Amino acid sequence: MPMKNIFRSIIGLSALLLVQAPAFSATPPAAMVCESCHGTAGLGTPNLAPMLAGMDKDYLVEQINHFKNGNRKNPSMTSMVMTLATPESVQQVAAFFASLPAPTISNIEKRGDNVIITDPARKLVYQGDWTRNIPACATCHGPSGLGVAHFPRLASQHADYISNQLTAWQNKKRTGDKNNVMATIAQQLTASEIQHLAQYFAAIK
Amino acid sequence: MKTLSLILGASLLFSTFASAETNLPDRQTELPAHAKAASTEYLVPRDLATIPNTEFGNKVKQGYSLFVNSQTMRGQYVGNEQNCANCHMQAGMKANSAPLWGAFMAYPAYRKKNDKVNTYAERIQGCFKYSMNGVAPAVDSPELVALTAYSYWLAMGGLLDKYDMQSTQIPEMSDAVVQLGGKADSFVLPETIAAALPIEQRNKLAGRGYPKLAKSAQTPSIERGEIVYKQTCSTCHGDSGQGLKQDGVQSFPPLWGKGSFNWGAGMHRVNTAAFFIYENMPLGKSIQLSNQQAWDVAAFMNSHERPQDPRFTGDLKANQEQYHNHQGYYGKTVNGKVVGENAFPAEAVD
Repeated sequence: MPMKNIFRSIIGLSALLLVQAPAFSATPPAAMVCESCHGTAGLGTPNLAPMLAGMDKDYLVEQINHFKNGNRKNPSMTSMVMTLATPESVQQVAAFFASLPAPTISNIEKRGDNVIITDPARKLVYQGDWTRNIPACATCHGPSGLGVAHFPRLASQHADYISNQLTAWQNKKRTGDKNNVMATIAQQLTASEIQHLAQYFAAIK
Repeated sequence: MKTLSLILGASLLFSTFASAETNLPDRQTELPAHAKAASTEYLVPRDLATIPNTEFGNKVKQGYSLFVNSQTMRGQYVGNEQNCANCHMQAGMKANSAPLWGAFMAYPAYRKKNDKVNTYAERIQGCFKYSMNGVAPAVDSPELVALTAYSYWLAMGGLLDKYDMQSTQIPEMSDAVVQLGGKADSFVLPETIAAALPIEQRNKLAGRGYPKLAKSAQTPSIERGEIVYKQTCSTCHGDSGQGLKQDGVQSFPPLWGKGSFNWGAGMHRVNTAAFFIYENMPLGKSIQLSNQQAWDVAAFMNSHERPQDPRFTGDLKANQEQYHNHQGYYGKTVNGKVVGENAFPAEAVD
């Protein structure tokens, strides 16, 4: 009988863990508020909030702080980040979303894998346009735009978010990048290029 | 000039290429630096998308691929984390960023230092030995054939367009001719271009190398350079010059340490590095630092240990005296240590 009880308890406990693990146990309380827009899996919501899953932790910390100090201007985010009162809570939230799995990309493309590139957006991504001093996006954002350390992942990010950000860099609603490099590059892009680049990165799955 | 032609002819016929591996002449002679020329004078290579789908075109394409992702040769010819395109922006096309078209048209070149005419292919072998801390591929290897073909394609397309021959196809040439370089007598240019660009002018194309930067008001300082580095460079090149790597791909090159260029590479010279940095950094922005900051940060970068000079045979002082009579820290004492004594292994290939 005791054996059976122990067995039952184990089953009960496992079931509890299984149910709770993905949705609740990992989410730090400070990140609960983020999930309503960014999703419990951190995959974001089109036309509302970007994917955060798998982003570099330092990048996320940096961005939360940019919202706090006004380098990034977005009415809802500006008020949301105020709920993260301490540096520890910022760290916690960033670490949580960084730990969530981002969609995996099967065919990773590195610079040099293709030479003849006719699609203009893809050409910008892998070769840039140096007549306007635009380096290949992949130089900093990595093969297939998967991100490099604190240079964020763009692959499978929502298209509306990417285009909004590029526009924000242009009209200075987003600042705070080291050396002003991204702002300088974004200034060079046309509205149509921004749309195409956004769609290109969003489509990398 | 006649003598030079004879020497060139002899080199071509009897091919001195094979000796490249047996001795190591000082091929990394300082990159010539000139005052910046007007941008209208620079060659603009043709769009990569116009590379023909021919046997020759495929060599050009392979050259481009190896140039931007040199890590495909890691372990065999490349012994560090560098890609050619790290020091030659825009895949070797950009003026003032040591463009391949500028170098291609400057070879073969006679060097007083080793009393030898070096071909363009041999110059690229030097890059493998020093900048890539590896072992040079043979001249007739597919890799060297591809890299020289790519360089030729950039130069010839740029020249044809500059001289209003936009509709002329880039002539396909034999590997042997291409590997000599554009300054060889045997290198045939269309008549108008040949007339406008006599042999002795070809190594002076506007935009070649890195533009010369005036000397700084104060002697370059490692200490001031460290401040510049932390403020401006470390975000991409890391706190300890290690660059940034993600999922096994080195996206930003290491500037010192075992993954960087070695003590024989041109970039270890403080002046060459200052010229490069001033003109080309930060990426996509160009000229941001002051003249003084560029010199200071170049000094800081090049005061760190890196892989050993492959010409080193055990005597640092002797190697310094023979090969390092220029602006650099090799053999000098920095923070109580003689630079070069703790160098990382040279030729770090399998």
